[in-house]
Amino acid sequence: MSDEIIQIETPFQFNEENKREFDELIGRYPVKEAAMLPTLHLAQRQAGYISPAVMKYVAELLELSVMKVKDVVTFYPMFFEEPVGKYVIRVCHTLPCALRDCKVVLEHLKAKLGTDIASETNLAKGTTDDGKFTLMKVECLASCDVAPVIMVNDDLYKNLTPEMVDELLEQLPN
Amino acid sequence: MVQERRILYEHLDVPNINTFDVYRQHEGYTRFEKAIAEYQPEEIAQMVWDAGLKGRGGAGFSTGEKWSFVPRDIEPRYLCCNADESEPGTFSNRYVLEKNPHLLIEGILICCYAMGIETTYVYIRGEFTLGKKMLDAAIKEAYEQGYLGENVRDTGLNINIYSHPGAGAYICGEETGLIESLEGKRGQPRNKPPFPAVQGVFMKPTVVQNVETLCNLPFIVGNGVEWYTQMGPTYADTRKDPPEPDRNTGTKLYCISGDVNEPGVYELDLGLTCTELIEVAGGLRGEEVKAVIPGGSSAPILTHYELDTRLDFTSLTLAKSMLGSGGIIVMNETRNIVDCLLNIMKFYAHESCGQCTPCRWGTPWVRDIVQRIADGEGRQTTITRPKFGVTESGRWGDTGETEEIYEDLDLLENVANNIANVDTMTWNTICVFGIAVSWPAVSYMRKFRPEFEAAIREGKLVTLPIAEATVPPEENYAYQQRFIPKEFSELQETTED
Ligand SMILES: Cc1cc2nc3c(=O)[nH]c(=O)nc-3n(C[C@H](O)[C@H](O)[C@H](O)COP(=O)(O)O)c2cc1C
Ligand code: SF4
Ligand code: FES
Repeated sequence: MSDEIIQIETPFQFNEENKREFDELIGRYPVKEAAMLPTLHLAQRQAGYISPAVMKYVAELLELSVMKVKDVVTFYPMFFEEPVGKYVIRVCHTLPCALRDCKVVLEHLKAKLGTDIASETNLAKGTTDDGKFTLMKVECLASCDVAPVIMVNDDLYKNLTPEMVDELLEQLPN
Repeated sequence: MVQERRILYEHLDVPNINTFDVYRQHEGYTRFEKAIAEYQPEEIAQMVWDAGLKGRGGAGFSTGEKWSFVPRDIEPRYLCCNADESEPGTFSNRYVLEKNPHLLIEGILICCYAMGIETTYVYIRGEFTLGKKMLDAAIKEAYEQGYLGENVRDTGLNINIYSHPGAGAYICGEETGLIESLEGKRGQPRNKPPFPAVQGVFMKPTVVQNVETLCNLPFIVGNGVEWYTQMGPTYADTRKDPPEPDRNTGTKLYCISGDVNEPGVYELDLGLTCTELIEVAGGLRGEEVKAVIPGGSSAPILTHYELDTRLDFTSLTLAKSMLGSGGIIVMNETRNIVDCLLNIMKFYAHESCGQCTPCRWGTPWVRDIVQRIADGEGRQTTITRPKFGVTESGRWGDTGETEEIYEDLDLLENVANNIANVDTMTWNTICVFGIAVSWPAVSYMRKFRPEFEAAIREGKLVTLPIAEATVPPEENYAYQQRFIPKEFSELQETTED
């Protein structure tokens, strides 16, 4: 993809800490391309999502074409191509959680946040108007013994009930 | 009642076992030290083979045998530890990473020593943020203590471990998908052969091993092969003449979830039955067991007729199912099997990597059929085709009856079997994800056919009583031929008589 196709508004760059982490990362692999996933994770943590500017930057760092980076980004559900809320709420809905009423938790969250569930191609659909939350369904989070579970950003919450969801949402700072 | 035997999980709940000092107080790294002091690398590999260790990640392939395929004259060789753990119903690796990461490092060290490997990548699924953090901290400590890095403990060995995050794709658990993903590409499985043991990551020989498999190594080295092989049943493989022992050694971290009172991970000797395991897990939540999934969502389902099946590699294979990842999901009498299948098929339709046409198109198609049935719109054709059979006059001919055909059920089986045929065990796809789709689809449908038929007939989901919902084994080719494998020792006794 050339620059004419991608509308790059503000260029992206790693901050100093991330740059240092990246430099450490790249030494782990015999080829630069292998650092793709950890680099994209770093970039997403800094930028919030993988914008065209981020892809261009990562492509330059790893000496690859932008197309190749985009190819990878679109494959993995954890990389977002659109802005998401400050808190990304992932609700597990695979069988063991379904046997423990994850539907109740999901419906409760939907009603409480007043939003729909995001799809991979339409994250805005599941994002609240104030940009605080993005609600999405995910597959088994490998915590079926404490089902139903949700993840809020990096943290896992177990054995959830609607009451616990209420409490949790209140605790989250703005 | 069957007792838990905690080996891998023995020190899991010791406070601060995740730190080097506490781990060290609990025999930490002594097994690795024993390995380098007392054995040659080849001897360790031989011990692992002799111990009969089978991979705990899904395929159940003999670890020693896998190691023997690795050419020792090609440098460098790699170890990829599979910590992707995405099979629905599986959650044992998570606890190792979060609570006792040094045990995994010790296992990796032993494997690296045995195989002459200098670089290990631990591929951790992206959602395991805590697990990755704990492992990274443990790796850092191990470097500081001289157990990793250059010239480990003055032995001249160089061993490095790096953690590598995934990003939410189930298929990256498949070993070649994992390798592609590790190389920074889409996690799309490779055609095999060449197998990773010969050409894996960066096109070099690569050992791919699950977390639990690696965690067994310190105990095999520490306590010896004899001690290890005492655990678990040994069957007689009577297909061979004379019968050969077919071993299921060691313990297994059984993950049990669904309708039991105390879901969790239970470490037990291989070979207990479904009923026993449910009892260990606090008993059933509900009145009666309707169905059990024995090895993660990819495994064919077991009905209440099969609860005496022993949960080990051999017995479950003979029951036309598999131990897989050891994720056991229990369902009670209130569950609707059509609904459960729908949930699982949504999972697979979402996770297909899209390389192979049968899988890319077939899996959503299967999902759509099940969805249609669950929505009460399943297709049924009542045809008035003459049904041939023995007529009233005792002759062969048109019986005057009409035949009701459940078009969608035939279609379901047809589509699923064209992704991967469960009867012939042949697949039209690059990886065995195809089998993981058609196995549940076909086995649920064959074993609980009345429930599927009822949903189509009544135009809505109907949960039948267990006795009516389940097809008995005698009438169904989805079951095994009811054959309980013999313990090898029993066989020897009978032949000696
Ligand atoms: C679709 C699919 C998903 C898999 N997911 C995992 C997984 O999450 N974790 C794992 O250890 N093995 C998984 N496997 C099995 C691996 O391909 C491989 O057999 C295993 O990591 C080998 O390690 P082991 O011999 O120690 O079990 C999966 C296989 C398939 C076909
Ligand atoms: S079988 Fe499915 S998951 Fe496996 S390689 Fe083919 S498309 Fe991908
Ligand atoms: S199904 Fe929800 S954590 Fe496994």
